[in-house]
Formats: sequence, structure tokens, C-alpha cells
Amino acid sequence: MRKSIIKHALLGLVLVGASTMTLASADQIAKGKALYLNKKAGNCIACHMIPDPDAKLPGNQGPPLVAMKARFPDPKVLRAQIWDPTVKNPTTIMPPFGKHWILSEDDIDAIVAYLYQY
Amino acid sequence: MKIIKSLLVGASLALVASITQAASSGNTLASVDPEADRLAMQSFFQKRFPQVPLDDYVNGIYSLDAGSREQWEEIEEFPPYEFDIEEGEILFNTAFANGKSYAGCFANAGIGIRQNFPRWDESQGKIVTLELAINQCREANGEKKLGWKKGKIAQISAYMAYTSRDNVFDVQIPNDEAKAAYLDGKQSFYTRRGQLNMSCANCHIAGANILIRADLPGPTLGHVTHFPVFRSKWGELGTLQRRYGGCQKNVRGVPQKTQGEKFRNLEFFQTYMSNGLVVNGPGARK
Amino acid sequence: MKKTISLVAALMMISGVVAAHPFNEAFNEQRAMYGKGHSFTWDGQTYITDHPEEVAAAAEANAANATKLLASAKAKYAEVMAVDFGWTLTKNLLKSSNKALEAGDFRKSMNISAQAEYHSRMGIAQYHQSQTEWIMAVPE
Repeated sequence: MRKSIIKHALLGLVLVGASTMTLASADQIAKGKALYLNKKAGNCIACHMIPDPDAKLPGNQGPPLVAMKARFPDPKVLRAQIWDPTVKNPTTIMPPFGKHWILSEDDIDAIVAYLYQY
Repeated sequence: MKIIKSLLVGASLALVASITQAASSGNTLASVDPEADRLAMQSFFQKRFPQVPLDDYVNGIYSLDAGSREQWEEIEEFPPYEFDIEEGEILFNTAFANGKSYAGCFANAGIGIRQNFPRWDESQGKIVTLELAINQCREANGEKKLGWKKGKIAQISAYMAYTSRDNVFDVQIPNDEAKAAYLDGKQSFYTRRGQLNMSCANCHIAGANILIRADLPGPTLGHVTHFPVFRSKWGELGTLQRRYGGCQKNVRGVPQKTQGEKFRNLEFFQTYMSNGLVVNGPGARK
Repeated sequence: MKKTISLVAALMMISGVVAAHPFNEAFNEQRAMYGKGHSFTWDGQTYITDHPEEVAAAAEANAANATKLLASAKAKYAEVMAVDFGWTLTKNLLKSSNKALEAGDFRKSMNISAQAEYHSRMGIAQYHQSQTEWIMAVPE
């Protein structure tokens, strides 16, 4: 048991190092973009405008995703907002993408990386 | 640090405020006030869309969005449900094997009565929707039940709505049992379901007339008045509860039972909210 | 007077909601910010941000463990269906897990079972939450 906790802790350090803490790779950003646009994945475009010329005909249930670094200086806060937006807004229409395991944790990191471009 | 602290205080005050106003507003049988709910719903939409006359809500999203209204009005010039009304009339008037017909099961021989459904049925101790009453009529006359969502039952319901056009919805809550059914329906309407964690209210109150990609969710006020509907997406006529199931699947929830207690109570609540508006079913929708 | 009563009621509700699962809230907060495999301290103890289902799925990949996890995920699905809050994708996850198990891909089967079981646990939580929280969305 103890061994497995330590193992998990070590694994955790590696994962944190590889995720939002480091600069996002082009691959990760591309993956985030694909998830943003895919109706069966993130489908963020259903509700959010983003100034990416490929993100055509967005919905507007949610705010436009602009000035993300200014609005979310800490990427962890943005990540948490995607993971479960009901924490900050109990009546929001936005699904809890992490809490309800709609997307994997890697997927959420990729979306954060993509959003941070805008 | 001080800023963070005051932010936290602010956040907790906001939480207190929102819960305080909710705690006293109709989530128990003792405190629920259907008439106050109905007026609050009307005033919510009238404040949000002050230019839209109350009577126009029977047209759903087309009362709010001028762009799609134009297309819809063109569709309504040659209504896609016309054939279904004719079929419904034939079915309605066709005698059962025992020689009786639907007319014998309803007040006023079934003509012009849509506005009174769903209704609390004292002898059964439950809410009866028009579709349930149609199937109960069949069974009472030794006929098999029809499928709930489309086809013949939707056609008969469409004809019965058609004969009730312009009658004012007048759903009654005669006693505490009916009130409990109303409260259950109200709770369902505001309850989040499915992996996407959405309630009816998310789209049809707060999210009404705001784009979800290319779709504009309609306001719940006037939602039920035009059912059953010929939905272009279905390519055919369908009942309100068919749409309920579809909505629940859309939010990735396993749908509740068609014409089960939950859906009947939900329809009861939703129709009560539209009391005072006229019947204009059947309708055509995207 | 009325104000005092409703404030008390509100405070009771808050303590009811928040105090019921303080660990879950701390866990979710950490998982939300850091994802899987992050360690954090709560009440003097160190925890990892892995769901219990994920921890179970990290056990040795073999037929016995995969069979056990699938059975557990199925039982949880029955539980969420009993309160009428099941999610649509779960049934297919259970099928895929079974398929992977039959094909001898135990790791895959265990990972899918973990997600299926988690979904059902969240559906049950959603059911419990729905009993109190819905009123917040009613226009006043």
C-alpha cells in the first residue's frame, strides 16, 4: 500500500512536470483545437466564440474566449474552470468536463494549451 | 492576503444570498405556490424580452427570433402536419371493434378539450396526459395500446389539439395530491441530469434564444402549446414526451419512462406554466 | 425576524452541503487544478488525486482483477439505474470492458471499467445533489 502511494506520488511529479507547468507543444495545441471543434469531444465551439479563423459559426451561451492569459494568469485556475464550472457558478449550463469524465485529464490539458493561445 | 480574504467573504455572502432567496421559494409542498411560479415565469421572460407580447410565446422560439420566424411562417403556409390532422380525424372517428369510439371517453365528445390536459384524475390518483387518456380509452374498449411517441397516437392527439385551437390552457390543481405532482414536475424541470449535467431550465429559461452552435433553444413559456409537433429533424410528427426523452438523451442521460410518473408530472408542471396561453397545436418545428 | 430565520436556514444548508463531503471537495479542487497523480495534504495526511476507481484499475492486470472490476462497475450501474440517474455512455463502456476482458486485454478492460464505475458513482452523486440544489435555478 505504502509502496503504491509513493509510486503514485512519483508518477504525479512526472505528470505535473509534463502537463500545464511546461510550455505547450504544437502537438498539444493542435489536439486541444481538435477537441474544441469536435462535436463528440469538447464541442466548446457550441457555446464559445474564439478568435481562431477555423472556429466558424460558434454559439454564444458562454463568454467569448479572448484575452485568456489576462483573465486567467494562472493556468491551473482555467483548468479548474473547465474541470467543474459549477464550483464558481452553481447554475451554469456548462458541463463539468473533468468531474464527469467527459474528457480525459490529458484532453483538458490540451484544451487549456489551445485556449492559452488566445 | 487581505484581498483574498475579502474575496472569500464576498463569495460566501453571495452564496448565502442565493440560497436564502431559494430557501423560502417553493421547494416543499407547504411553500410551493403554483400561481406565483407561473407569474414569476411570465415576468422573467417579459423582463428579458420586453418587446415580445405574452400571447406570442405560443410560437416558441419564433416569437423571439425574427430570422427563423420568417422561414417558419413559410413552412406554415403549407403545414407539414396537415396530413396528420386528417389521418387523426379519421382514426378518431373510426369505431372500435365494440362499436364505440374515442368520443365516448371524453368530455364534449373529445372536441375542443386539449386545454384541460394534463389533468389530475381523482379515481386513478395520478396525472393523466391526453396521450395516456387516448390509450386508456382504447384499453377500456378492448383495443391494444398505441405506441406513445409517434404515429397514430400523435395523429389523434394532433387532431384533438386542432379542434381546440385558440382555447385557453386551463390546467387545474384541485388538491394537495395534484400539488405534490406539480411540485415533482417542477423539481424535474430544474434538475440536472446526464453526463452533461443539464436541466430543462438551463436551455429553456436561462439559455432561451441564445445560440448553441446553430440552434436557438425556445422559451419554456408556451413550450407545450403547439405539441404534438412535426419536427423537420424527425421528418414526422411526435409527441411532447418523445421530445422529453430526446432532450434527456442529448444531455447523455438514460431517458426516463415515456408516460411514466416523472414525465407526466413534468408535463403537468410545464403545461401549468403556460396556463392563460392558447392551444395552437399541432405545430411545425426545426 | 424573518431575515434571521432564513439566514439560519441558509447557514444550515451551507454546512449541510459543504460539511457533508469536505474531503471530496478538497480532492476535486486538487484534481481540477492538477489532474491525475498529484499529491496533496489534507487534514495532516497525504493523498493522491487519483479516483478510487483509477487506483483499483492500477492493480495487476490479470483475468481475476479485470473480472472483479467489471462486476463492480456493473453493480454500480445497477445502483445508479435504480435511482433513475444513469448516463448513456456507461452501457457501452461496460460492453467494451467485457470485450477487452474476453480478448485477454486485461489492462484495457480494467481502465474502461474504472471509467464506467466512476460515471455511475457521479450519477448517484448527481441524484443526491438534485434533491436540494434544483431550487437555485428557479426564477424568483
